[in-house]
Amino acid sequence: MASHTLEQTAVVEVTDLRMRYGTNDVLHGVGFTINRGEVLVLLGPNGAGKTTTIEILEGFRLPSAGNVSVLGENPATADEQWRARIGVVLQSWRDHGRWRVWELLDHLGSFYVPYSEPHRPRPYPTDELIETVGLTEHRNKKVSALSGGQRRRLDVAIGIVGRPELLFLDEPTAGFDPAARRDFHDLVHRLSDLQDTTILLTTHDLDEAEKLADRILILNHGRIVADGSAEELAQAVAGTAEVRWTQDGQRQVHATPDPTAFVRELFDQERTAAGPFGVIRDLEVQRPSLESTYLTMVAQEQESDR
Amino acid sequence: MNAAGYAMRCGVRRGRIEFMNSVRAGQDIAYYVIVSVVLLVVLWLNRNGTVPGTDVSVAAFMLPGLLALQIAFAGAFGVATVLATEREDGTLLRLKAVPYGTVGYVSGQLTRVLLEIAFSMVLVLVPAAFFVPGLMADGFWAALGAVGYLILGLFAVLPLGFIIGSVFKNPRSVGGWGMLVMGAVVWVSGIFSPLATMATWVQILGQLTPTYWLGLGLRSTLLPESAVVAEIGGSWRTLLTIGVLLIWAIGGLILAPMLLRRMARRESGSSVAARREKALQRV
Repeated sequence: MASHTLEQTAVVEVTDLRMRYGTNDVLHGVGFTINRGEVLVLLGPNGAGKTTTIEILEGFRLPSAGNVSVLGENPATADEQWRARIGVVLQSWRDHGRWRVWELLDHLGSFYVPYSEPHRPRPYPTDELIETVGLTEHRNKKVSALSGGQRRRLDVAIGIVGRPELLFLDEPTAGFDPAARRDFHDLVHRLSDLQDTTILLTTHDLDEAEKLADRILILNHGRIVADGSAEELAQAVAGTAEVRWTQDGQRQVHATPDPTAFVRELFDQERTAAGPFGVIRDLEVQRPSLESTYLTMVAQEQESDR
Repeated sequence: MNAAGYAMRCGVRRGRIEFMNSVRAGQDIAYYVIVSVVLLVVLWLNRNGTVPGTDVSVAAFMLPGLLALQIAFAGAFGVATVLATEREDGTLLRLKAVPYGTVGYVSGQLTRVLLEIAFSMVLVLVPAAFFVPGLMADGFWAALGAVGYLILGLFAVLPLGFIIGSVFKNPRSVGGWGMLVMGAVVWVSGIFSPLATMATWVQILGQLTPTYWLGLGLRSTLLPESAVVAEIGGSWRTLLTIGVLLIWAIGGLILAPMLLRRMARRESGSSVAARREKALQRV
């Protein structure tokens, strides 16, 4: 029972979050919670407000209005003690190019030494972490000599070196090749299994969201348009299961909220052979994929904007 | 030890690593060597003449000014360039994301600059000792006084570095405008010829700069007493020198953290990404 209540502890609580740049509203009253141990994916097209949201939660940006609580504190006013409990995976570019991989990770980790706790020793041992992200054979390489994928793994290592309770990743796989992407997904799975690390990740890649998320939030034009697991989201777009079949040499398509009932009726009609119905072939029932759900939701939202 | 103090110590280690990385990089070593050789050639060419009205060699007169110049370049221009570069490339943001990272960043910068200055001064002073007459006539205590002035002088010019580095948006404009400002500062601070021989308005401007006072302080410890006649008013003005340098240093210690905090507060992943886009477009 105790562990159940622990599971349900909200790590992040956001209500009515608004952000305005000049006269341009980027977030219109966004609200959501992230529970402990959850992997939440913030999904949305470019310009939806994903980065703005994550940067407000990281404490790097001040919201125009709204209530934000991250690990029980307001990120805008939280102290360094709070900072030590969160991890931010940044997109490296050319910073610390002259540093060696091991040296940089060890240095950035050293800032967490005063925040070590018995059940959460900080920082991660440098060698162990380098192995976790698969950079052991590159440990003495200069950061500038790493490939894009290796650099990204170093970014992740830096993000988690303080053994964060909550980890933020903004578009972590932008510019990855498929192999690097798969390696990265494996790494995220391992991380979320480690020491109940809660993860918030943004992406505009549906496939990625479906693979990683316990729960998906779809953000569009600064509003949350959907919140749930991939399956729940698909069900939320009701009436879109498609039944396809061939009859009398003709391809037929029918959209229905209850494909089972429809197919039963279809076969009944075939058996009674009344009217124009012939033999049914090539029957297919298609549940909406996350992709079609996403596109439908984004389209609906744009529709209502006009 | 508290967490901020611990972060400061992490920063000292950071400064050491950055200095060692710099010493290992061919590009940086070439810079150190070229600057030192240029300064030594200037001294060598002036080793025989004397400052008019004194028996002090021109080379000996110039040397303290050149040390002041090195301090000004490493402490102000160097820091400004590094600050603007590391803001653009995300180094500052990286440190901001760790607890008390900006404290570590600042102590790292200080450590790096101190090591860099010590290193480049050894490169000039050791060879110069062989051919500049009358250098350090007063031995140990004079040298100690000179070190004191150098450290005070560094803290006096650092605010210039932080101001230039945080006002300009990117390292390329620091290179242009910063160089112009530094050139003007060097010209009016009486490093190559006594300020006393220059026009009154140059003297006024010169005495507003920390580099003039640093040069004066260094000359007062490194040159023989007879050299004092080449100075404004024929005096070393020791108390005034220390006072002016202290005012610059204290002003800097108050202003620099404020500027840095303001600069760091604006850093986020998207601001670094935006600058990356811009810089890549230029290439």
